[in-house]
Amino acid sequence: MTPIPLIALVDDDAPFLRAMESLMRALGWRAEGFSSAEGFLGSTARTEAACIVSDVQMPGMGGMELMRRLAAEGGGAPVILVTARTEARLDEEARAGGALCLLRKPVEPQALIDCVSRALDAA
Amino acid sequence: MLSAAEAGVLDLVQESVVLRTADGRILWWNAAAEALYGARPARAAGRYAAELFAEETPEEDAAALAILRAEGAWAGERTRRGAGGERRCVALAWRLRRAAWGGEAILETGRDVTDARRDEAALRKSEHRYRNLFQAMAASFWELDFFPVGARLHALRKAGEIASYPAYFEARPEFVREMMRATRVIDVNEQTVTLFGRPDAPDPKAELLTTVEPFWPEASSGVFAASVVAAVSGRPSYAAETRLRAIDGREFPALFTACFPPDTMNKGTLLVGVIDLSARVAAETALAGMRAEMARAARVSMLGELTASIAHEVKQPLAAIAANAAAGIRWLDRPAPEVAEARLLTGRIADDARRAAEIIDRIRGMVTGAAPSAGPCSANAALRDAAALLEPEIRRDGARVALRLDPSDPAVAADRVQLQQVVANLALNELQAMAGRPAPRLDLAVRREGDAVAIEVADTGPGIAPDHLPRLFESFFTTRAEGMGMGLAIVRGIVETFGGSVRAANRPEGGACFTVALPAAEGPVAAAAHDAVNTIV
Repeated sequence: MTPIPLIALVDDDAPFLRAMESLMRALGWRAEGFSSAEGFLGSTARTEAACIVSDVQMPGMGGMELMRRLAAEGGGAPVILVTARTEARLDEEARAGGALCLLRKPVEPQALIDCVSRALDAA
Repeated sequence: MLSAAEAGVLDLVQESVVLRTADGRILWWNAAAEALYGARPARAAGRYAAELFAEETPEEDAAALAILRAEGAWAGERTRRGAGGERRCVALAWRLRRAAWGGEAILETGRDVTDARRDEAALRKSEHRYRNLFQAMAASFWELDFFPVGARLHALRKAGEIASYPAYFEARPEFVREMMRATRVIDVNEQTVTLFGRPDAPDPKAELLTTVEPFWPEASSGVFAASVVAAVSGRPSYAAETRLRAIDGREFPALFTACFPPDTMNKGTLLVGVIDLSARVAAETALAGMRAEMARAARVSMLGELTASIAHEVKQPLAAIAANAAAGIRWLDRPAPEVAEARLLTGRIADDARRAAEIIDRIRGMVTGAAPSAGPCSANAALRDAAALLEPEIRRDGARVALRLDPSDPAVAADRVQLQQVVANLALNELQAMAGRPAPRLDLAVRREGDAVAIEVADTGPGIAPDHLPRLFESFFTTRAEGMGMGLAIVRGIVETFGGSVRAANRPEGGACFTVALPAAEGPVAAAAHDAVNTIV
């Protein structure tokens, strides 16, 4: 039996984090939320997660930096970035860092679901 | 010839006396002539005048002789060689005289007028120069006949009618206009015709040679009255900014100056100068416009920053609402609907909606600024503009500004107004930091730094405390009681919008230095003035 994949969610906005957790679980996945990139890196989810959804702008380490850290270590899970910022150059930065996709808040739930599905297919 | 007695008497005469024949041979001359021409009578006798005097125009003698013979007398001037070989101008009078031998002789008296002629020539030259100056000056000059007004005021004063000129004029605006109508224009220069005249008139200058009344708008009467007060109370000059009127009715701002030197005042003539201030007033208006635009840009930029952060905040609850709703639907769509989970999510949706509404309340009433242009604009120009903008503050603080611009005039990809604002903001901070310190100086510089253009705004103030350096650009960080702590945060916001960076440091020689690095831009720069690269204001 295939283990249920774990989706790691990283966002400093607690209500949005809880909402994503609930959405992931409603779709039958496992979800674990972290309020900071540092919290995620210090957890077991770091090696276990099949997909990481992270906010770009957070106190301390941001989503871009987290993505680059994981890529530098090699073999990291696909990263999906979400952000409330609007600058066009963020798309480029996300692409250059190897993100699977960059979604703008408020995130269209179906777009997030599609991205996570693609990440799990790729894994 | 002359008798000894005659000769003795003539030697006492101050004027030179020469007795000669009609063909110019010298017969005798007196002591004064000896002094003038430098030869003793005995040596002069028998020689020819033309040769002895080295006259420049001996051919004129024929015409003089004709007059002499016709009228018995001739008078004129000749330039002759004097005793020291120098040229002397001599005023001559000839009389025809029968000589003892029965021939014709000329008795010539001469007066050395060299000095007088030189003075006259100098006077003519100075007068000529004055006329030239009068005509050629870039300012408008007027020669006015003030005599009737002066005489009338003198009479009124004598009759006890006028106790105080200012009060008298103030109470009688019509009298002031009357004084204008009694002041006639004697002459004006070319610049006056250009400034006040009607170019298409048949004789534009003649139209102006009237009274001064048409050139004074009603609202400027007070300035005319004040100049009259200055003239009659013995002050040497008067100057004021006012509005004057051209002959076609067009009014313009002008600097009016009048001079009352005693010698021309006695003649009743006045010299008035007018400088057109339109260009300066236009420049001041443009500067005021630029200040207003800067103030607006500052407001817009601050609002822009607030709006961006508010938009960022409001998107968080919206994102949560969308995710909660999507999750809720999926829990309910399950074969066994999870009503409890859906109920929980619905409650959270209500919370997030309330959170969003609170944020929107904070946005209410705020306006978003227009997106700034991304250049290219001249870094040199931004520095100069900022220095011009802060001129009142710089003057107030007695500060000096040293501009070290880049002669290649590099362009940066930034909005010109916002860049001015960045520089002005940094410079203003530094002026405040230098307040009360001796010899405050702002060092503004532009230089290339690889692919970027660095703009340095440095001061001679106390510098920045090391523990403040890392937090300097944070919003609401300030060391001043009255400061909002937004200036440097806005500066950083603007610079980053254009892909640049700003850093702060202390200079080794003391004082703070802010460096704004912006990407260099290609392409032409609008209105980049190339003038002095290094200036100290």
